[in-house]
Amino acid sequence: MIKSEDNSKNKCAIVSSKSDTKESVIDFLKKAMDEGIFDAVLIPMMTPAGDSFAYVLIKDKTLLKDGAPLSPIMSVQGAKAVSSVTRLGKGKMKIAAVMRPCEIRATVELSKLGQTDLENITLISMDCPGVLPLSDFLGDPKKGMKLFYDAAEKWDYKPMRPVCQICDKSSMIAGDLHIGTLGAKKDTFFIISNSQKGKNVLDKLGIDPKESADSWQAKVKTITEEKHKKREKNLKELKSKIGGLDNLTDTFSQCINCHNCMRVCPVCYCRLCYFDSDKVKHTSEDYLKIAERKGSIRFLPDTTLFQMGRMLHMSISCVSCGACEDACPVSIPVAQIFSMIADETQGLFDYVSGRDIEEPLPLITYKEEELNDVEDSND
Amino acid sequence: MEKKIGVYVCECGPNIAEKVDIDKVINAVSSIDGVAVVEKFKLLCSGDGKKFLEDEIKKHNLTHLVVAACSPKQHEQTFMEVCENAGINPYLFQLANIREQCAWITEDKDEATEKAIRLTKAAIGRVRYHSSLEKKELECTPNVLVIGGGVAGIETSLQLASPDRKIYLVEKSSSLGGLVTNFEKTFPNMSLTSDVMKQKIQSVNENENIKVFTDAEVEEVLGFFGNFEVKVKKRDEDKSSAEFNVGAVVLATGSTLFDPKKTSQYGYGELDNVVTALEFENMNSSGKITLKNGKKPNSVAIIHCVGRDETGYCSEVCCMYSLKFVRYLKDKISNVKVSNFYSDLCIPGKTYQKFYDQTKGKHVDFIRSADLKVTKKGDKLNIEYKDENGSKKNLGADMAILAPAMEPTSDASGLAEVASISIGDGGFFSEEHEKLGQISTTTEGIYIAGCAQGPKNISETLVQADAVTGKILSSLIPGKKIEPEVKISQISESFCIGCKKCINVCSYGAITFDEAKKISVVNEAICRGCGNCVAACPSGAATLKHFTFNQIYQELMEAVQ
Repeated sequence: MIKSEDNSKNKCAIVSSKSDTKESVIDFLKKAMDEGIFDAVLIPMMTPAGDSFAYVLIKDKTLLKDGAPLSPIMSVQGAKAVSSVTRLGKGKMKIAAVMRPCEIRATVELSKLGQTDLENITLISMDCPGVLPLSDFLGDPKKGMKLFYDAAEKWDYKPMRPVCQICDKSSMIAGDLHIGTLGAKKDTFFIISNSQKGKNVLDKLGIDPKESADSWQAKVKTITEEKHKKREKNLKELKSKIGGLDNLTDTFSQCINCHNCMRVCPVCYCRLCYFDSDKVKHTSEDYLKIAERKGSIRFLPDTTLFQMGRMLHMSISCVSCGACEDACPVSIPVAQIFSMIADETQGLFDYVSGRDIEEPLPLITYKEEELNDVEDSND
Repeated sequence: MEKKIGVYVCECGPNIAEKVDIDKVINAVSSIDGVAVVEKFKLLCSGDGKKFLEDEIKKHNLTHLVVAACSPKQHEQTFMEVCENAGINPYLFQLANIREQCAWITEDKDEATEKAIRLTKAAIGRVRYHSSLEKKELECTPNVLVIGGGVAGIETSLQLASPDRKIYLVEKSSSLGGLVTNFEKTFPNMSLTSDVMKQKIQSVNENENIKVFTDAEVEEVLGFFGNFEVKVKKRDEDKSSAEFNVGAVVLATGSTLFDPKKTSQYGYGELDNVVTALEFENMNSSGKITLKNGKKPNSVAIIHCVGRDETGYCSEVCCMYSLKFVRYLKDKISNVKVSNFYSDLCIPGKTYQKFYDQTKGKHVDFIRSADLKVTKKGDKLNIEYKDENGSKKNLGADMAILAPAMEPTSDASGLAEVASISIGDGGFFSEEHEKLGQISTTTEGIYIAGCAQGPKNISETLVQADAVTGKILSSLIPGKKIEPEVKISQISESFCIGCKKCINVCSYGAITFDEAKKISVVNEAICRGCGNCVAACPSGAATLKHFTFNQIYQELMEAVQ
């Protein structure tokens, strides 16, 4: 994990690409499989029809060549894939999971919630240029492919999803190994170990991270600051648009109650959502009473309540991955809203979701001094 | 079935009637959906009142009962019994506290009435969502494990042992008796200790219902009230171990003394003729109160409160045994001059003052001092101190006796871990409540007696042994089953995501993890219904019987609407 005093972040190994970065990353994974460091690799891959991408668990290393470490879209959030693989037991296989930084952070959150066992998993992140909105890409996958890879090469994030454009955690945050492409000379990339586990992998591969990562860090800093500025500006605008109960109700008035956002959310960990349960269903008598009180009641009911419930429940662990917004059929900017709320709720506890696996979830941590706030307000 | 709620408001004599407009309360709740009848009564907890309630429940075929009266602590049980007698489940009842929470604290009658209405509405709001709960019974063993063979442990064992209750007494040293065996006499009546102790120890050894383990320690205590599994290991060469089941555990591990070497001011360990209270007791018992050179001391300084600043508490007994030391000295050395240096004299109770009055006198001084230091001056000791006015003084003495603070024994923290109870201030075992639960712990069936809970004298220790005995005799009755808490937590198998957060926050060790199903499971015998797991559960799988989300929500809505 990243600790401020940890200076392994300043050192890296520089790998020269044979052709392009993607193939070199694949080569790296293949070599690690050859050496028996990994038994399998979890990585996005183009679907056979060639029009989308999905996570696959590759056991046959000849299939690695089709892996797409930086896919143009996020069809399934990687944390959900890792959790599916390990929730019922870590098994014996050593698995490398190649994911985006936000997917790794969600995996860390799920690990804190006991929804994945990371003991045999090596998490490998990459500098992330963002992903295209799912609907844009699926409309014309060929065009989307070109648009994404051209933009990614130039670190142009304008075509990416709005929540990616304001992502200030798009480089190494958590995980074991990181592949840095920012600030790298043509046909090279950086490998940085981010944990003891990552260091061990490099050791076994005979890779000695002794070179300076300064140029990578400098570029990461520039991009992060730039996006952070944009984030502050955009979220401020958003807040003025949706702040207050009336605006919030207006924002969610288009909601069709499909609950897609909840189903694709990597950190929505409940087996059965409260809002899918019978607990939110009432008798006609009760509905009539509400209608009597308010004049009328909308059906299906509880759309805003559902969103607020979800904010309350998981904004502490929200990693701003954008999966919810991609899945929203009526284009509510739900990821941007959640990202904004997450900043505030996590800020309350000086918590950053998925930053550090040792950092306990705030809502199960009791600190005596927390009560001082309440005491003071009563004085 | 249609709900028929009966609401009864108690006047509590003048207590409620004078401060709350009861007719207004009745008016405000009588038209609420499901409320079948609302009545007032002079004193519902009286024989007449209980009879009235029982008749009413039967007469109106009530399904639920709300009583607006006093605190649940006082009469919840009373009215639950009324329900049972009248044939409705006692958990289909709710008590609204309009006495302590309204009548007694709200000056303005209108405000008190308004609050009483809200509290009664809240009770009605919640009671309609109550479910019937059934009591359960569990087999248990009446046997008891007593850890520590000092005064507290011996007394508890002797009182509890009977043909149908076996006692396992585990002592870490090679013999029974504890600290007290060092004392020749005890204050304030200066009776001889050794005869009494010898008798007690003999009684223990001869009692066939007490199994004594000496040189032994308790390695494992697993389970819950009525059913603990215990593992005891001998510390001798063969390290043999024994395993048995008990229903309750008594921690009577006593205390040890603060080591005066931890602070240099008393010169202990460096200067000759500076001794601790225990060393002095042994000198006295052996009949040789002498200096290093074999001569009898002509002047002795007794220094109280040694280690009081370091430990942060007054050890309660040191002043009294220091007075006892004065008696020892006066008895054995004529004309000896004794100076007591104290920071506060602790002589409470009905007999101690007399003991003090009779002890002070010619050649016995009591000096209130601060910043005390023991040094050497020639062949005598020199006590440097500041008197009450802050002026520096010196006093020569042949011998200095230190009265050190009492501290928990070194194995207390390990034992706390074994027994899953907590350690409190000063390192002593934490009692359940400073006043209301002095001998119980947060784990039901685990009790503390004597100095293991904090410094105390022999009389107080014996009282605690009595109290523990009483608790155990009344709750673990041979041949009877125990009734575990009914209002407990339950974890829904289909909602649990297996994150184990509940296990981390459970103070009672009541939740285990089912590795096959990957879910948390509540042990109904251990759960005390505190609700910690419910608050920590991220996925809504844990709920508390009788305090469901809906019940609390309905209650709150009525109270704040």
